[in-house]
Amino acid sequence: MARPPPDPLYTLRGLGAAVNTLHFSCSEPARPLLFSGSSNGAVHIWDLTTRRSQKVLKGHADSSILWLDSLSRENLISQGRDMRVCLWSLAEGRADVTDSLFADSVGFCQCSLMQGGQGTWLLAHPTDCMEEVKVIELPTKAPLGSLKPESKLGMVMCMKLLQTNSGPMLVAGYEDGTLVLWDVSQRRPLSSLKAHLEPVMSLDFDPSRLKGVSGSAEQTICSWTLDGQQVLQLQEQVELVNPGISQLCLRPDGKILASAGWDHLIRVFGWKKMKPLAVLQYHRDMVLSVTFSDHQDPKQRMMAAASKDERISLWSIYN
Amino acid sequence: MASADGEGNVRLAVAQCIKTLTSAKDTDDITKVLRQLLCYLEDGHHGNIPSEQRLEFCRSHYTRVLQALVKGLSADWFHRMTAAQRKAWWDRQFLSGPPDQALLILLDAITASSPSLGLEHLVCVLEEFLRTGRIETLLWSRTEKENTGDSPQFREVVLGRLVGLPSITANKLHPQIPAAFLPQPYCQLLGSAILNTLEKTCQALRSGQDCFLSFLAETLGKACAQGYGALLFGSLAPQLSAHTHFDALWCRVCVKLLENVPDRWMEAVVTSLIQTVDCPEALSRIMGNVALKNTKAQFVITHKLILLQYHHKVSVVRNLLGYLALDDERRPLLTQLLQGVCNAWSNKSAIKHTPVEQQMYVSKALLLCLNLLNAQELEQLHSDLLQCLLSGVQCHLDSNVLLIRRIGMVVGECISQKLDTHSTQLSFQYEPDDDSRELLAMMQPVDNNPASSQSPDPAPEVIVENPPKQSEVSDPPDAQATNSDLDSDDELTPYDMPADQERQKSATPRYVRDCLEGLINSDDADRVAACLWAAADLLRKNPTVTQEVSTEFTKVMLHLEDKYNTLNFTSLRHNTMVALTVTDPQPVTDYLTTEFYSLNYNLRQRLDILEVLALSAHELSQPITKKPDCTPPAAMVTAFDQYSDLVHWKQVVEQRIRSKTKYISKGPSQAPPSAQPNRYAPVAGCFFFPLLRNYDRPQVTFDLLGSDHMVLSRLLNTLGMLVHLAVNAPVVTQMGKALMDFVWALRFHADQCVRRGVLVCVCAVFMSMPSQNLLIELNEDVLDTRTWLADVAETDVDADCRSLAVQSLVLLDKNLKKELQP
Repeated sequence: MARPPPDPLYTLRGLGAAVNTLHFSCSEPARPLLFSGSSNGAVHIWDLTTRRSQKVLKGHADSSILWLDSLSRENLISQGRDMRVCLWSLAEGRADVTDSLFADSVGFCQCSLMQGGQGTWLLAHPTDCMEEVKVIELPTKAPLGSLKPESKLGMVMCMKLLQTNSGPMLVAGYEDGTLVLWDVSQRRPLSSLKAHLEPVMSLDFDPSRLKGVSGSAEQTICSWTLDGQQVLQLQEQVELVNPGISQLCLRPDGKILASAGWDHLIRVFGWKKMKPLAVLQYHRDMVLSVTFSDHQDPKQRMMAAASKDERISLWSIYN
Repeated sequence: MASADGEGNVRLAVAQCIKTLTSAKDTDDITKVLRQLLCYLEDGHHGNIPSEQRLEFCRSHYTRVLQALVKGLSADWFHRMTAAQRKAWWDRQFLSGPPDQALLILLDAITASSPSLGLEHLVCVLEEFLRTGRIETLLWSRTEKENTGDSPQFREVVLGRLVGLPSITANKLHPQIPAAFLPQPYCQLLGSAILNTLEKTCQALRSGQDCFLSFLAETLGKACAQGYGALLFGSLAPQLSAHTHFDALWCRVCVKLLENVPDRWMEAVVTSLIQTVDCPEALSRIMGNVALKNTKAQFVITHKLILLQYHHKVSVVRNLLGYLALDDERRPLLTQLLQGVCNAWSNKSAIKHTPVEQQMYVSKALLLCLNLLNAQELEQLHSDLLQCLLSGVQCHLDSNVLLIRRIGMVVGECISQKLDTHSTQLSFQYEPDDDSRELLAMMQPVDNNPASSQSPDPAPEVIVENPPKQSEVSDPPDAQATNSDLDSDDELTPYDMPADQERQKSATPRYVRDCLEGLINSDDADRVAACLWAAADLLRKNPTVTQEVSTEFTKVMLHLEDKYNTLNFTSLRHNTMVALTVTDPQPVTDYLTTEFYSLNYNLRQRLDILEVLALSAHELSQPITKKPDCTPPAAMVTAFDQYSDLVHWKQVVEQRIRSKTKYISKGPSQAPPSAQPNRYAPVAGCFFFPLLRNYDRPQVTFDLLGSDHMVLSRLLNTLGMLVHLAVNAPVVTQMGKALMDFVWALRFHADQCVRRGVLVCVCAVFMSMPSQNLLIELNEDVLDTRTWLADVAETDVDADCRSLAVQSLVLLDKNLKKELQP
């Protein structure tokens, strides 16, 4: 007998605008935090112990926040639709923009951040040319290269940087449903895969299994692998009931995958075989973002989902 | 001179013997006489008797001797004889002489004697008579020689006794009949006797001797006519089939036998034979061309079995038609038969006035026949078939009965398929069901050949055994591979996923008026669907608002069309309308009943109105359950006292009755359901009377008493239901009266659906109306009603009508009894 699907652990409300993106920061010993970026340009910092909003950051005028990530406990990075990427310092209760970068992109593509070496990061961001992705090094902002496909693939929709044995790579999803694997250091495409018929809306990658997953505006989620010759190969397709995926997120332990759907539902799959595990219903509008916390203790790991209905729901599932 | 002398001697001797038998006291004398008599019957006794004398004895004196012996049963000498002596001297007299005379005497004696030791002995002798194959001897004696010199009357009597033996003995010996005299064993015996006689006939014919089969044929005929056909041919037919398979002489003998059956018994013989034989080929071998030579047989085969009777199994029709098709000389009969069947099938009046079962039977015969025709014959019958296709299918499709329409479609398709293989063919849309499959199966040829069905059997078994072994060998690596592939996904048990459904694209309406708005002017398919889904619930939850817009909402629902092919549209629409009617009964029923008789509605909408009214009435008539909440506590105290008093009094009476009554039937107890208040009783009139208002005023588009009898039948059913649901309401008397008046004019409607509706109404009235009112209202019509119902119960073509009429009669009688015997 199947169990009834769980209810959210708790929900966060009162944002006053659709929530576009979420980011956890739960490293010990500090109090666990959740950052949320809304369509009115506010970045809320939520204290997960008190479940209250601690602070609101406003650095992108009133433009929608597209993406949030953190370089370290004290340094937040945010991307807004004002075409800027800002670096924040939150140390000792401050909330200042320490640096900013003009990305010049009018699209909705989210940036991707990856730790390069000690104290350095790689940031991939979209540019004024809709098909192009630029990779820079932080905090020096030194450009590492520009990745632009030769064939017509349309706008770049989503991307993810990954560290492999042969240097940093980038997987990008394009408007015509193609996935392209780029070698960042050599600035050339290694392989491409026509995974979808509609624009690729989101992708995630599991470096330990060399396996990724992508979702689009259509009714399927595709998983694909990276073989020894750095070639992308389609592995499995999961058919959904309703079309449209806003975001896909793998739990860091590589056990489950969560999808944020346009049909107001959050779906959970087993990562190995893409077996559907749960369909979570709470939101009353499109779910825009879903992410897992980086708690050290696996028991406390949570999943957070943000929706256009101005609410954030937190779930405890398969801990 | 010598023969005359011999005759004289025999007569003298026999007279002497009989005298001794009647008068002698001494057992030795008797034994001597009996021994002397046996000498006339059996060879090998000393003092050989010339054969002329023997013949003379058998012809003229045997019966008298036997009669004397039977008389002697009560004499002293018979009782003094030992069992062995009786067997040796007395019984043998019966078992050795001419069997026909012995049989007559035995049966006569058994019929005449009262229960006694003598009767018991006679029964034993008769059993012995059957056991020793005397019947076969009898049959052979009359096959060997044509005329044994006896009169036709005697022959007739022998025939009667021979065939009637089970009945004659049963009449006399009823509780203790020996097994050999029961119909089944006796028929088996008779069958094997006939078969052996036929065998002997064949041998005789081979050796050049003439035989005469008329007595045998008459025996067969009479037995079949007396109802032993199935039993007799049950054992005979397989044997005949087997013998005729290899031997042409047997075929000739069988055909001759059937030709010799007198006309008055021909039908019984042919029918039983066709019913028991297993394939048309065997039938053809046994019957030969009897159908051509004997007009009676021809009539039975080509007309009676197909067009007048319809209780036979399909195999009978198959045998019969196959038999006709097997010989070129008989094929004209087949085409003639098909013409007749076509005429019957496309006859409009027949469709109306014959039972559905018969139409099904005729249709099957038509299809089977069609399947047997060759191209040339099809060409010849082209015009008949075309007629069938054009008018026959038309008539069938006009019918109200689903099965008849379906028959029309299936048969139409099959005929068109046979007629024209090149041009376009008829094709109807119908859901295949058991009946249509049964009909279509007629077009498939049946493989009756036992040899072909048996021989290929062993081969597949061998083939089947191999694959599992191979798969067993190949399985393990696969299984291991999948096992090794098992991973952490399986330790994560999935949750239930009820939310995993197709997303409604537009929001469900929250207000009744929004919902109405959405249904009136929305070009958005999703919105209409959402409104329809939500409507019924919304209306029931907001009765006040619903009452404000009920009529308008009903109007919209009645005119709503399924423009977007919404899932479950019909049921959603009905539910919504029922919700409206239930929430605000009076205005909505006013509207619906008025619209039922107005212009410019299609049949579907009128039927919808009726259905909605019936469903709503049903829902309203459910008892109101949450009563105690609203009664004030003060009133409850007094009411309770009275109530308990009442219960007490009732219980006492009931207990007293129960203790004094013996219940013989164990059926469900007859206690009527206790009357409870419901919401329907106050408004029942609003549902009912307006529907009776305008039925006789035909509109341009709607003629209830004319062509729209489908609506009429639904209307009657609905009215019946409305009356039935109003049981115990005060208004039911008026309703029942009005309904009976309405229905009275429709008693003899041509359409069986309407008649059924009428009977449903009558049943409903009889069940619902209080019996005293019923009798007052019916008063002078009671007798008319009874005769009408009895007539329907007996003669109506429709089985449902008949059973409903019976039910009505029972109800009426119950009411009468209740009223007349207080």
